Amino acid sequence: MPDQEKDKEKAAAALTATADATSAPVPGTATKTPTEEEASQYFYGEALVGFDPSEITGSLIVIEGMDGSGRSTQIALLQEWLESEGFAVQTSGLRRSNLVGRDIDELLAKNAVTRLTLSLMYATDFFDQVEHRILPALRSGTVVLADRFIFTLIARGVVRGINRDYISGLYAMALRPHLTFWLNVRPETAFAREFKKAQAISYWEAGRDMSLSHDLYWSFIRYQTMIKREFEVMAKRHNFIELDGEASVSSVNKQLRQRIADQLGIRATKYTPSAALAHLWR
Amino acid sequence: MPTNVTEPQDQKTAPRPEAAKSTLPQPGRPVPSRAYPGALIVVEGTDGSGKSTQLYLLKRWLEIGGYRLHFTEWNSSPLVKSATRRGKQRRLLTPTTFSLLHAADFADRCERQIMPLLQGDYLVLADRYIYTAFARDASRGCPPRWLRNLYRFAPIPDITFYFRAPLDIAVHRILSGRPKLKYYEAGMDLGLSYDRAESFRLFQARILEEYDKMVDTDNFVVLDGTIPVNKLQKQMRDIVASKIDLKRFAPHAAEAE
Repeated sequence: MPDQEKDKEKAAAALTATADATSAPVPGTATKTPTEEEASQYFYGEALVGFDPSEITGSLIVIEGMDGSGRSTQIALLQEWLESEGFAVQTSGLRRSNLVGRDIDELLAKNAVTRLTLSLMYATDFFDQVEHRILPALRSGTVVLADRFIFTLIARGVVRGINRDYISGLYAMALRPHLTFWLNVRPETAFAREFKKAQAISYWEAGRDMSLSHDLYWSFIRYQTMIKREFEVMAKRHNFIELDGEASVSSVNKQLRQRIADQLGIRATKYTPSAALAHLWR
Repeated sequence: MPTNVTEPQDQKTAPRPEAAKSTLPQPGRPVPSRAYPGALIVVEGTDGSGKSTQLYLLKRWLEIGGYRLHFTEWNSSPLVKSATRRGKQRRLLTPTTFSLLHAADFADRCERQIMPLLQGDYLVLADRYIYTAFARDASRGCPPRWLRNLYRFAPIPDITFYFRAPLDIAVHRILSGRPKLKYYEAGMDLGLSYDRAESFRLFQARILEEYDKMVDTDNFVVLDGTIPVNKLQKQMRDIVASKIDLKRFAPHAAEAE
């Protein structure tokens, strides 16, 4: 174990610090430990325990963007397109783990949780899905469409005052996506879309826990603007493909399909949604 | 839970001068050990090392003396309990999620009890602390550097007692007293052995090795878990009395000054 004080001074495994990722050997582990080079190719810093990166044959495609940016619409359409092209598709998203998904829902409903605990519960939810849903899918050649990823979780933590290196270090064992799309919209547009959807804005969407404003609209706008700023910082560092989320659904979808087709090595074919999804196409 | 948690009586308890400028630390940043007026005493050691018995006796001694204290146990936050139970029952936990869920539990107790009480000039006694996670999760293969980062927000204890008992003695104490070892408790998830008792033994050996590595780096006070309970307790009380200004936590400390 390295000297504690030194260790506490240094920010452990920030997302960018893959070059000096000298993970100490773990004594007597039965599991395969990938080399550092392998680890940094697939992870942000540290390799996930017991994981062999050479097994990955699928693609991990992440769609990020604030509430109301059109993520879930696009994922539904992409899933149908990919399946019609003959690809197996798995989806993932926040709070969908079997382990703690419902527990987080309860914590949020009760509003009885501190920011650090909530961040760690989200991290648990994330890694449970990585280990039980995303990795098994990627091992079997499936295309994984992730509705949000570590970037939302990092942004939410940082705007709440959690140390950036700390929260990045938490996700040092997260898989690097093959493609990360950012559907960028103005908070004002997102507000209108979200309000239309539910005729209300939720406590957490508006960042009400941060006491930004008693006015729901301004709380939402200020909170989502702070999140957006964090995304702007991460966009450069992590090669986000930024798309204008205010463009029409069909135009955004076309751009997504082109980039994904390149990634998968197929030709970008024409696509019109089936009757079941036609209502999303506008 | 003591009642005057949120409003420490600053005037009466006269915090140490360096504590006067204390501010709440940013979550995720290391907490300097003198950023608060209270004191933190921690016990660590393998299962069967005698640590919980000794901390109980220390607590009784301080309680009977009327000292202002709070006792906290590893893995006890009600907020995270149902998730941990479900994960264990259904064997959903991997080394990574096992570690994160325990960190969430600790964060909850840290943010809602330990830190506010240390700020409020309490003596906090913890049965197991972050070193349990370092030893146990590293034994499961989690990267040590990732683990150290995970618990960076934890205040560093004033005293960390490490109760050290030879493997055979500690394992015998557990095996003779418990009808059946639980799956994760026995480290069955590591695939060391199909036999629970044997798996437990191999797992505990790894944990013991990890603890031993931290003795110097984390300033453990090593106590011999094999000596008679009352003699060991005397040693523990002497060390506490010599390292911590207990008067500060005594009833009516301010009036006496």
